[in-house]
Amino acid sequence: MSYLSISHVTKQFGDAVVVDNFNLDIEKGEFVSFLGPSGCGKTTTLRMVAGFEIPTSGKILLDGADITDKAPNQRNVGMIFQSYALFPNMTVAQNIGFGLRVRKESEAMIKQRVDEMVSLINLEKHANKYPYQLSGGQQQRVSLARALANRPQVLLLDEPLSALDAKIRVSLRAEIRAIQKSLGITAIFVTHDQEEALSISDRIVVMNVGEMEQVGTPFEIYNFPKTRFVANFVGSLNTADAEVVDPAKGLVSMDGVQFEAAEGTDARKKGDKVKIAVRPERFSFASEQKKANVVDCTIENITFLGAVVRIQVKIGNTKFNMDTFNNPFLELPKIGAKEQVTCSKEAVLVLDE
Amino acid sequence: MAQTALNPKGVSPSADWKKWLGVTPFFLFAILFLILPSLRLFIGSFTTEEGQFSLANIIQLFEEKAILDAYWLSIRISAATALGGGLFGFLLAYSVTVGGLPKPLRSALITFSGVASNFAGVPLAFAFIATLGRTGFITTLIKNLFGVNLYQQTNFDLYSFAGLSLTYMYFQFPLMVLIMAPALDGLKREWREAAENLGASNFQYWMRVAFPVLLPSILGTMILLFGNAFGAYATAYALTGGRLGIITIQIGAQIRGDVHHNPGLGYAMAMGMVVVMTISLIGYSWLQKRSERWLR
Amino acid sequence: MASEKIRKVVEMSGISIDLRVGKGRGRKSWSLSRLGTRFWSWFWFILGALYFLLPLYATLNFSLRMERDVIGFKAYIRAFEDPEFLKTFLYSNVLALLTIVASIILIVPTAYWIRLRLPEARRIVEFITLLPFVVPAIILVFGLIRIYSSPIKIPFTDATLFQPLTTFEVGTDILIVAGYMVLGLPYMYRSVDTGMRTVDVRTLTEAAQSLGASWFTIIVRVILPNIRAALLSGALLTFAIVVGEVTLASFLGVPAFGPYLFLLGQHRAYEPAALSFASFLLTWVAMGLIQLFTGGQGQAAGAH
Repeated sequence: MSYLSISHVTKQFGDAVVVDNFNLDIEKGEFVSFLGPSGCGKTTTLRMVAGFEIPTSGKILLDGADITDKAPNQRNVGMIFQSYALFPNMTVAQNIGFGLRVRKESEAMIKQRVDEMVSLINLEKHANKYPYQLSGGQQQRVSLARALANRPQVLLLDEPLSALDAKIRVSLRAEIRAIQKSLGITAIFVTHDQEEALSISDRIVVMNVGEMEQVGTPFEIYNFPKTRFVANFVGSLNTADAEVVDPAKGLVSMDGVQFEAAEGTDARKKGDKVKIAVRPERFSFASEQKKANVVDCTIENITFLGAVVRIQVKIGNTKFNMDTFNNPFLELPKIGAKEQVTCSKEAVLVLDE
Repeated sequence: MAQTALNPKGVSPSADWKKWLGVTPFFLFAILFLILPSLRLFIGSFTTEEGQFSLANIIQLFEEKAILDAYWLSIRISAATALGGGLFGFLLAYSVTVGGLPKPLRSALITFSGVASNFAGVPLAFAFIATLGRTGFITTLIKNLFGVNLYQQTNFDLYSFAGLSLTYMYFQFPLMVLIMAPALDGLKREWREAAENLGASNFQYWMRVAFPVLLPSILGTMILLFGNAFGAYATAYALTGGRLGIITIQIGAQIRGDVHHNPGLGYAMAMGMVVVMTISLIGYSWLQKRSERWLR
Repeated sequence: MASEKIRKVVEMSGISIDLRVGKGRGRKSWSLSRLGTRFWSWFWFILGALYFLLPLYATLNFSLRMERDVIGFKAYIRAFEDPEFLKTFLYSNVLALLTIVASIILIVPTAYWIRLRLPEARRIVEFITLLPFVVPAIILVFGLIRIYSSPIKIPFTDATLFQPLTTFEVGTDILIVAGYMVLGLPYMYRSVDTGMRTVDVRTLTEAAQSLGASWFTIIVRVILPNIRAALLSGALLTFAIVVGEVTLASFLGVPAFGPYLFLLGQHRAYEPAALSFASFLLTWVAMGLIQLFTGGQGQAAGAH
């Protein structure tokens, strides 16, 4: 049986259904992200695990025990907030020791645990400083240490990196992941940033308007999105209207231009209206000896994005983006030139219209 | 004019002093009507009638029992109303912010507090005479309901310590409400949730987080209330007609006619007040700075 | 018994309480403690409301009973008909108006100049604007009398600059307006300065300058309209301080409303109560207008 089990959980505020029949089993030591736009119910789900909201229906089991209705201070889960929520009147050490102190642990034990935690987050020099004397990144690390000091069964992170600068965001997320792995703690991470979710998680739950869209590893979510929402929300995507030409062979036609798809057409009939979707980085110039899906195009625009060069091509009447890695010896075509581009049949996703 | 206005700083030394001309009227006003009068009292408290430097006035200040009593009474009344008004004001501010009362009550209370904290002096004194005077509304009500005559059967007297304190409270606790309501709003919801999440009970949250965070604000505002009552003159004069010898009334008497037969002593009394007010203002701003750091 | 009381209070209040109690033990005690909090909140609120309202009710009640056994406005009519009332009230209003105008003329350019060109003067000016908190009205008037009741001489000479201000009417009026400006200084300055900060006068000025506006145009058409809410709230607060002020007025011996009301109280009963209630309403109007202009942040003065 799984460690944390959220089953058939629904949450309503008045008439609004914020979370609709959420089901998820999380294994011990797993790092799961809830990914979705704001208002998709990810934070509400997290807050139900923390006990700040009570589900309208459904059950939450933690290590076999039903915690659905338990008060927040009766369950042993650690929470990290977007705004850090450090107590301003306490030093770093006092903040970290707070949970132990309210549990009436011995001072010696508290001191030992606080020292451990402070060195875990590398803030030994700042142990006696107040939160307002620390940077945002340092404050969030203290908040992590404070949550971990209690040895929680689950660690909940509510957009913990959103308030930070881009650089710190990347380094801190690596640090969080490293600490989570070394302690083997179960963690749920809420974010609206797909790159964050992809880089940090064992599994991702993509959510939209209260419903789970897809659950899978980052690899699955990115490469095999099951729904249009997932495909659009995770990574960038070219989409176009198309029509099924031959379901058995996986052929679809977009304004007369034919694409071959690896899957997604089996359950459809000839003439069905669909969307096809291709990620920009799956396209390449046809000169690089590719077999399938070679199509004619016109170069429309070229944008330099740093590591990547984005080339806009027009295939038929539709504009597609094509990403290619930058290197100093890259030979870029001229705008207006006629070229041929290609993509593998696995790269062509066939989705509902 | 317009072209020179936004030159970078320090173009020439002459421009540097010229821009101070812009604030000259303000400084002139402040010197004439605030600094000079205060300085006059300050110097006066250190000189004899013949104009010699002397500490005699200051020494006499501490020797004259009537004056010390007046200070002491003022301090007691100010402290009592600061404490009482502070506590009551805090509880009221609490009840309309985190206490779960409906929103309209909050704006009603804030508006009322704005009015009441500015409603003082003669009208306030008259209002309390109509309420708690010998034939006041409540005095009569208590007599009719319980058969107790406040003035004969208890020690109560509106024109005394208790009466003046009750009257001062009318503008004291609203001031506390006005300052504490925003401070209570400054308590972040996440603090409570973080505390609960770490296993703290509601009581533990209040004792260990919310109350300590608010404490500088609470103390600072109470000090402000203290100063507020300490400097009050009109309300006390209108209420007691000078019978209750608080320090402002004593100074008033000294201005009207030199009752202590030593003008220098009057100046010293005034300086004594300024010293107390200064200490309380410094205490207030120190605590305020501390709480701003926390409640940002 | 106690719970019955709670229920009654809650019912009286007409609000619905969320009694949806969860299944677990912890949850239940939580809701109960919430209920307790609500009860005490109502308790303190009602107590506060009584403290506010009873003296007002008592004053109103008393002021309406001038004629035996009849509720009527006789005290108000009498009070308002008194020519002395009209004179002093008008005089106090003129004083308030003069104080407000003079304060604005003094403070707006100062605060503007500091924001724009002289930030290094900020600390000292803010310090000065705090001084009136340290020097209460009674001390201020004491100092003013001592300085301005003797002839003003040019320093180190015997030449008299001008006659003692307290010996002639215009002189006293100047003195009392200056005194009121000092009393209102902390509120007026803060109000104006906050107003200028929120609209960012520096950027506004630079924008106006880059569009070729003259200084006069900038101040009259850009700055003043943008800080008018701040000016109004500062002005109304000053008004509330000045109109009923007693300390300065009585020691400087001017025929203002405050001392008049005080004297009236010495030998009349009902008219002073009527005027007290009316002054309360006046303060209410002033504060209500401030709330209206500043969007709800009440301000507190201290003319006690």
